Amino acid sequence: MELNDANLQTLTEFLRKTLDPDPTVRRPAEKFLESVEGNQNYPLLLLTLLEKSQDNVIRVCAAVTFKNYIKRNWRLVEDEPNKISDADRTAIKANIVNLMLSSPEQIQKQLSDAISIIGREDFPQKWPDLLTEMVTRFRSGDFHIINGVLRTAHSLFKRYRHEFKSNELWSEIKLVLDTFALPLTELFKATIELCQTHATDVNALKVLFSSLTLISKLFYSLNFQDLPEFFEDNMETWMTNFHGLLTLDNKLLQTDDEEEAGLLELLKSQICDNAALYAQKYDEEFQPYLPRFVTAIWNLLVSTGQEVKYDLLVSNAIQFLASVCERPHYKHLFEDQNTLTSICEKVIVPNMEFRSADEEAFEDNSEEYIRRDLEGSDIDTRRRAACDLVRGLCKFFEGPVTAIFSGYVNSMLAEYAKNPGENWKHKDAAIYLVTSLASKAQTQKHGITQANELVNLNEFFVNHILPDLKSPNVNEFPVLKADAIKYVMIFRSQLPKEQLLQAVPLLITHLQAESTVEHTYAAHALERLFTMRGPNNTTLITPAEMAPFTEQLLNNLFKALAVPGSVENEYIMKAIMRSFSLLQEAIVPYIPTLIGQLTHKLLLVSKNPSKPHFNHYLFESLCLSVRITCKANPTTVGSFEEALFPVFTEILQNDVQEFLPYVFQVMSLLLEIHSNSIPPSYMALFPHLLQPVLWERTGNIPPLVRLLQAYLEKGGATIASSAADKIPGLLGVFQKLNASKANDHQGFYLLNSIIEHMPPESITQYRKQIFILLFQRLQSSKTTKFIKSFLVFVNLYCVKYGAIALQEIFDSIQPKMFGMVLEKIIIPEVQKVSGAVEKKICAVGITKILTECPAMMDTEYTKIWTPLLQALIGLFELPEDDSIPDDEHFIDIEDTPGYQTAFSQLAFAGKKEHDPIGDAVGNPKILLAQSLHKLSTAFPGRVPSMLSTSLNAEALQFLQGYLQAASVQLV
Amino acid sequence: MPTKNMTDERLSKFKNKGKDPAKLREKRITECVELRKAHKNESFLKRRNITLSSLPDEEALSPEYKDMGSPCSMEDIVRDVTSGSREAQTRGCQAARKLLSQDRNPPMKEIIDAGLLSNFVSFLLLDDEPSLQFEAAWALTNIASGTSWHTQQVVKHGAVPAFIALLASPLLHISEQAVWAIGNIAGDGSAYRDILIECNVIPALLSRICPDTPVGYLRNLTWTLSNLCRNKNPCPPLPAVMQMLPSLIQLLHLSDKDILSDACWAISYLSDGDNERIDVVVKTGIVPRLVELMSHKELSVMTPALRSIGNIVSGSDVQTQTAIDAGVLNILPQLMRHPKASVQKEAAWALSNIAAGPCKQIQQVITCGLLPPLVEQLRNGDFKTQREAVWAVTNFTSGGTVEQVVSLVQSGALEAIINLLQVKDAKVILVILDAINNMFMAAEKLGETEKLSLLVEELGGLDRIEMLQNHDNDLVYQAAHNLIEKYFGDEIEGVKGAATDAFVFHGTDVQGAFEF
Repeated sequence: MELNDANLQTLTEFLRKTLDPDPTVRRPAEKFLESVEGNQNYPLLLLTLLEKSQDNVIRVCAAVTFKNYIKRNWRLVEDEPNKISDADRTAIKANIVNLMLSSPEQIQKQLSDAISIIGREDFPQKWPDLLTEMVTRFRSGDFHIINGVLRTAHSLFKRYRHEFKSNELWSEIKLVLDTFALPLTELFKATIELCQTHATDVNALKVLFSSLTLISKLFYSLNFQDLPEFFEDNMETWMTNFHGLLTLDNKLLQTDDEEEAGLLELLKSQICDNAALYAQKYDEEFQPYLPRFVTAIWNLLVSTGQEVKYDLLVSNAIQFLASVCERPHYKHLFEDQNTLTSICEKVIVPNMEFRSADEEAFEDNSEEYIRRDLEGSDIDTRRRAACDLVRGLCKFFEGPVTAIFSGYVNSMLAEYAKNPGENWKHKDAAIYLVTSLASKAQTQKHGITQANELVNLNEFFVNHILPDLKSPNVNEFPVLKADAIKYVMIFRSQLPKEQLLQAVPLLITHLQAESTVEHTYAAHALERLFTMRGPNNTTLITPAEMAPFTEQLLNNLFKALAVPGSVENEYIMKAIMRSFSLLQEAIVPYIPTLIGQLTHKLLLVSKNPSKPHFNHYLFESLCLSVRITCKANPTTVGSFEEALFPVFTEILQNDVQEFLPYVFQVMSLLLEIHSNSIPPSYMALFPHLLQPVLWERTGNIPPLVRLLQAYLEKGGATIASSAADKIPGLLGVFQKLNASKANDHQGFYLLNSIIEHMPPESITQYRKQIFILLFQRLQSSKTTKFIKSFLVFVNLYCVKYGAIALQEIFDSIQPKMFGMVLEKIIIPEVQKVSGAVEKKICAVGITKILTECPAMMDTEYTKIWTPLLQALIGLFELPEDDSIPDDEHFIDIEDTPGYQTAFSQLAFAGKKEHDPIGDAVGNPKILLAQSLHKLSTAFPGRVPSMLSTSLNAEALQFLQGYLQAASVQLV
Repeated sequence: MPTKNMTDERLSKFKNKGKDPAKLREKRITECVELRKAHKNESFLKRRNITLSSLPDEEALSPEYKDMGSPCSMEDIVRDVTSGSREAQTRGCQAARKLLSQDRNPPMKEIIDAGLLSNFVSFLLLDDEPSLQFEAAWALTNIASGTSWHTQQVVKHGAVPAFIALLASPLLHISEQAVWAIGNIAGDGSAYRDILIECNVIPALLSRICPDTPVGYLRNLTWTLSNLCRNKNPCPPLPAVMQMLPSLIQLLHLSDKDILSDACWAISYLSDGDNERIDVVVKTGIVPRLVELMSHKELSVMTPALRSIGNIVSGSDVQTQTAIDAGVLNILPQLMRHPKASVQKEAAWALSNIAAGPCKQIQQVITCGLLPPLVEQLRNGDFKTQREAVWAVTNFTSGGTVEQVVSLVQSGALEAIINLLQVKDAKVILVILDAINNMFMAAEKLGETEKLSLLVEELGGLDRIEMLQNHDNDLVYQAAHNLIEKYFGDEIEGVKGAATDAFVFHGTDVQGAFEF
């Protein structure tokens, strides 16, 4: 691609087309550009356009395209071709800084981004002159250019704030410091002087203050990893000026905007961060300056207004004080009673007040309000910062601070009492203050008894919380109601049970509140109370205690779900689940009505699943309905199927992916309730479950395997008789799972169920092939998990089909195969099998091999007989071998990537453990003794002689114990 | 801190039950790039203008030539030194020495540029002119105390063998001057150190140690020995170390604080290396004495003793055990509470390495009552101390038994490290998350993960860990995310994929024989 006018013209046209709203024009143009971007000079054409095009739109478009091109192509990836020619790379690096600095702001930002992408790869080694080039620009005196340089430097250096220390990183920082630190310091001083000379020129000030903010950010990045020698030597300059800027105010820079932070606020916030960095990491060196900063920041807080635009500044400033006041050697700065009082009065209390912005959120943006107030995503809020400061101060001054606040709480409550309608916010602040003081005790609960004798939580509850909860009008002062509910919830462990019981019906009433926050809090509080544990590991609140309120509770919960704004309220749904689980059979009479409401909800949300937690609790609630009702009366399962299947069918047909794992689990639960037969409605669905697309999604695998297992358990014979053509598909599923190291155990679950429940003749033709697949996997990539599952399967096969069948099928695949598997796999690995049922299967299987397989007695396999017996005794007596080979990363079920997240396991759809041997064998040791006895009578003399020649003494002793216990003798 | 590959490190901690204890140990790597000012509390590399202890009345030995007018000009000095008269040469040398002894801008370069070094070196050989010999030695010593370049000039002119020969001088102050000069040359770096060693400086030095050697002389000699032990890349040759060690051990049993300080520094340099180097030190049996010196009242002795023991416990479990047997765990608590932050930090570093040991040693850490000071450090220490203390917690939780981890949590360490999750250092945060994860693994074994989740939440940890999911450092984000997912999460997600029409069970032919 030549750098000529024709190409520039073509490029211009295509760039223009990429802005076209019509995709049939836009897409091909984008495609074209991508197809030519590999050509040499392409990036230079873009740079030419963004510099020289007459059309501003094209200039910006070229800049954006250029940045994206750099982002995609600049990095050199090993073993991949270099996507940008070296000549282009050199030319770009030679021109881009100049170009960036001479461009208008819109383009400058794009190029600045591009520089930092290139810098990330090339700086410093492959771009050695970048820094010096930038530094020379500091002397230009043009702050448009200077700010461009500073912005670029910031994007290059900000990674120093989060990367790990390494020699490579520190060498780079050292290099940056060597060329950059001094000019930056000089620029900082010069800029501050200019601010004084231009103190009345608002436009100049704006530019200068954005430079100061950028310089302060660079200071933060360059000082982050460690305190550089240069900055230690120049601390006086920096800190004195930072301090001066903190105390500076200029009317010209104040903004009218209430929301957006202005330049002054941004600069001061950054300075607070810088001071906090030094106070935290370079305490020893920063000590002389710290008291001045404490005073300045405190004065700043006292003089800063309530507007939202100051939030970041205020919260940074408070956090600074909070981190300093809990350091032992700065204690003295806060010690004085007047200081403490004025911090409490002027810094903490004002920032705990309920502001109009909070009120707006409470009414119009309840989700956001709840997230901040309840879920703790209030990290940057003033209230949170004020709370942290209370806690910090309490470390050394708990007594005085609590005393000061008690005074405040009382006066605020008195204000409220005078005129609740006017002064309700005072009570809100009082409750918040009490909460933040007392919850300190909660964090120190460990080891210390109630730390706060100064705040009597119970008394406060009775005098100030309970009256609000009891107020007949639930919709009056909703903020105070929400506060009161939250108080119950937070202090539930501290309040006596009788108070909680008194609160429960009141909370149920508040479920009816119009305010979303209020009824959400009520649902949440109830849900939390229901999870509290009482003595004997039961729930604190018993179903009997709930009996009088059951109907109203269920009614109000479901009614709240109908309130606009709460139709997918996860707190309410979780409260429903928890109520079901607590009340158990008490809900049975209501289920016929409730199941309709739940399925209706399910139908609605399945159109567009957007609230994962809500959906999860909805399915849990469905499971609980089924379990609780069918436990009392299993025949009701049919009515659940009737209610649920139409919705499930729709979900399956529309392939609502989020819901499939849930649906499979609920179906498994339902099917497992049936007594040994499978309804036709399930059989109709069977072929669909074998569709490969379902098995591609990791999250479907565990619930689908469980469902297929239920099919096999209840309908093995039905499948063999009426759906025999589906057996290859079923085995295909096994084959797919068997090929995956993460899912092979699921394949074995399926295989075990097939062996256990399918009529033997229905799978005869596939058996050999199944084993070949297993042997191939064993040979190519065996893992400990695979071997464990394999051992269980082989032995289950032996239990089910007999030892002779096992030996014959092995040896038909390859001569002497049976011996090899015994010798190389079963004997050395059986000790690794875990789980009581699994061990029992192996014990019974091996006993059969030892005593019911003639080949073990009269072929060369005889030599393995004693070692196998010894391995079996080891399985009985030795601790489980949980070692794993050094080179194998043990793929445990829990470790499977994405398992937890994708599977969405339902707690209340739990499956009972299944024992395929069951009561047929009570004690496998006795079975072994009896079977050996039988064998010895068939071959008199052989067994004792085999034992005496090679069984080790300890094993022999154990064996004699079994024989004794079974009252048999070997002959 | 070593630059470990964090991914590998984490894998080795999380996934494998059998941990490699060597990986847990945090070895100090001295050749790290530094951003800070050089350490303030270490002994000096080179010294100028120390007082010679053995200097008799200066006038008597080396009469000052005041009558010649002072200060002398460079021309005068050059003229005198290059003259044929011993007297003038002595005068010139003395004038040069005095200029070089100035506090501000001694004219080292001027003297070198004037070509006087070869003259000075040749004067060193004049045993029958002790005054001249002494003045020349002093002048050269002062030049050797300059930058590397200055030292290089002195060595280039053949001063090394001359000074070594001068060690044997019957005049104590001349011999001492040579000791000092050699110390300066050795302090320049491993290259000159090894040249000195090859020229057999060690036997020559050691032969001057005898019962009646004055204390002042011994001080200088010990300092010079310490410089011969100093520097890495490479470390001093092992035979040289073996030669020096018996004398160093002897010196360590004296009571003079300066001698003790430099002898301890020497040991600290020798023990700052791989386990083989540490072994050489441990085998001398000096560990109990070093542990004793850790409670020496002089900071200048205690600091290098602590450093030495810190180095030793970064070695193998057996080496660490010798320090434990010598009682290091009884002394560490007071050092961890020392008023000086740098001492606290070193003590925490030592503890972090002991905590990286087998659970038997971790038990001793508990028994000797180190958990309370550790928690105090986590709460109130300065940042560098907190960082080391955090490592101690993480190492402790990686190697400790379930019971030991439980007592750590109960001692308040969990609360303290949770508070530290707000530090401005990505690595420290990651190490803390690692510790929390280890605590959860212990809780898992007790079936008490839920209880621990609750505790972490109560202590404000959940909020902080959740916040860290926004951290810019990927590994921090990942670690925080994993903890949330595993112990606090009930996230629900879907996974997408494509597939074919139907499954078919297709067997494959057996290719070749199975062989397991």
